[in-house]
Amino acid sequence: MMMRTKAESSKFKKNRKIDQDTALIEAINNGDHELFTEIVKRYERPLYNFGLKMCGEQRDAEDIVQETFLNVFRYLKDFRFETKFKNWLYRIATSICIKKRRKSKFAPDHELSLEEFIPKDPAAGTDRLPKWAALPLDTVLSEELYNKLQEAILELPENYRLVLVLRDMEGFSTAETAQILNLTPANVKVRLHRARLFLRDKLKGYYHEQ
Amino acid sequence: MSSESAHQHNAACLELFAKLSEYLDRELEPDTCEKIEQHLKDCPPCRSCLQTLKRTVEFCKSMKNKPVPSELSSRLRSMLEQLR
Repeated sequence: MMMRTKAESSKFKKNRKIDQDTALIEAINNGDHELFTEIVKRYERPLYNFGLKMCGEQRDAEDIVQETFLNVFRYLKDFRFETKFKNWLYRIATSICIKKRRKSKFAPDHELSLEEFIPKDPAAGTDRLPKWAALPLDTVLSEELYNKLQEAILELPENYRLVLVLRDMEGFSTAETAQILNLTPANVKVRLHRARLFLRDKLKGYYHEQ
Repeated sequence: MSSESAHQHNAACLELFAKLSEYLDRELEPDTCEKIEQHLKDCPPCRSCLQTLKRTVEFCKSMKNKPVPSELSSRLRSMLEQLR
């Protein structure tokens, strides 16, 4: 067993992040490996859906979940509570997603510039709020809309998609997303804004077609 | 002249356009928020832009998670059995 010096021990306690998973992880690392099933129970659904949003294919999403848990099982003993367990888990899932995408045939990454989203003709009725944004949220939600949204998310370059999915779908903060993706918070904000504008343009197109 | 035809890409509009998400996420300093709100009062196209972006984010946040296929759940549990 690794021994810590007094100074290391005090730093460890100071940096330690406590959350709803802490007790569970401690119990597993103290030998109760049966409890690993509880981690799977808590996170299989969010991870599966994260994989679906990132890859769009059930099979790829299943692989992401399986490989993520395999890595968690292998490396959990090294987890030092320097971040929330959930953030560490998504960091693993994210790197598996990136590797998977690199191996696949999907579109290469490209940068989205802010200029491409600035309304070209601001005098062309852009001050009228469209119905899809004016009506109560419940009245505009539909299965078809979600399908269109999922399609649009998959059209986003991966580095923008990751930020959007983590921030607007998985509920991570800017700081947490930056930590998971190893980016600066400023970079997360820039990517998120462009990703949202990209989706907004796609939705405008979808409602225009209707 | 209607407000829409009077709208031009002036500096205030472009500044707002770049900060819309941070504004929605309440990540801006109070001074900047105030400046933006002042601009929004007088600029219907920018208000519309903000509302459509806000609605886009609401759509994303309202997407429901699909259930995990039962075969995957079983596979995960047997993987755990083997690893223990």
